[in-house]
Amino acid sequence: MPATRPNPLHLLLAFLSGGLLTLMIHFNGELGRYGNALFSSWAAHATGSIAATILLALLYLLHQPVAAPLSKPPLWAYLGGISGAATVMLTSAAVNTPLALTGAIALGLAGQVTFSLAADKWGLFGLPSRKMTLRDAGAIVLILAGSALVILFGKGAA
Amino acid sequence: MTLAIAMALFVGVLVGVSRQFNGRLSLSTSPMIASFWNHIVGFVFLTLVGLIAGGLLPPGISDIPWYVWLGGPIGVIFVASGSWLIIRIGAVNTALLVIGGQIISGVALDLFLGSPMALSASAGGVLLILAGVALTQRR
Repeated sequence: MPATRPNPLHLLLAFLSGGLLTLMIHFNGELGRYGNALFSSWAAHATGSIAATILLALLYLLHQPVAAPLSKPPLWAYLGGISGAATVMLTSAAVNTPLALTGAIALGLAGQVTFSLAADKWGLFGLPSRKMTLRDAGAIVLILAGSALVILFGKGAA
Repeated sequence: MTLAIAMALFVGVLVGVSRQFNGRLSLSTSPMIASFWNHIVGFVFLTLVGLIAGGLLPPGISDIPWYVWLGGPIGVIFVASGSWLIIRIGAVNTALLVIGGQIISGVALDLFLGSPMALSASAGGVLLILAGVALTQRR
């Protein structure tokens, strides 16, 4: 896979994806109000499993190439869901510290970007490594600074 | 406090690890199949945790409005799109662009819901994010 710079299609999809994340966190937060964080994540994974099964079945019925058997994936690659599920539990723990929600979110984003830098540099977990440019560094600084401004001084600060 | 900071940072690491794993799986299968396994495996894992810790089914489960259950199906598309993106534009670009979209749509949702907000700080933050995003697009 060639190391491409993001083009407008990637940008559109990523922004839509970020928008979906906002909606998902909103709904799952509502779900958590009826139970707890564990129930919220468990229920979301249950409805997600059903939705994914239906979507895959539809793709299969429409004769779309559901899976091009390119190569056999390593077994550990199936375990991304455990990391995702653990995220929810650790998030609710981190929010209930003196950091509160805003601090936990801001540090979470910092951790995510730091990990992604390491992942691209060394090509962690079977994905290709990528070189970082000065422009990438500028984008990181601007996007993180903007996010910190919104999270720490914009939301709920009024 | 050090433990709290470490925990919050580690949340971000787990998000990245999960995207990396699902990206690797979608290299050999497809983004939708990666999302499928992500949800099945997560569900089994959380069921085990719930059986051990207890309290999985809250009493007021029938009072939950239907649309709140949409969080799960939305997550399926979220994981699939992340897996599609990471093998094309890398981990850093995927993380940055999704974060940008998340923060800006969060501001939009807060405006829509009428949540309290310091408008000047939010507007300044959105402008910085857009400038950073523009920087990823230049060749």
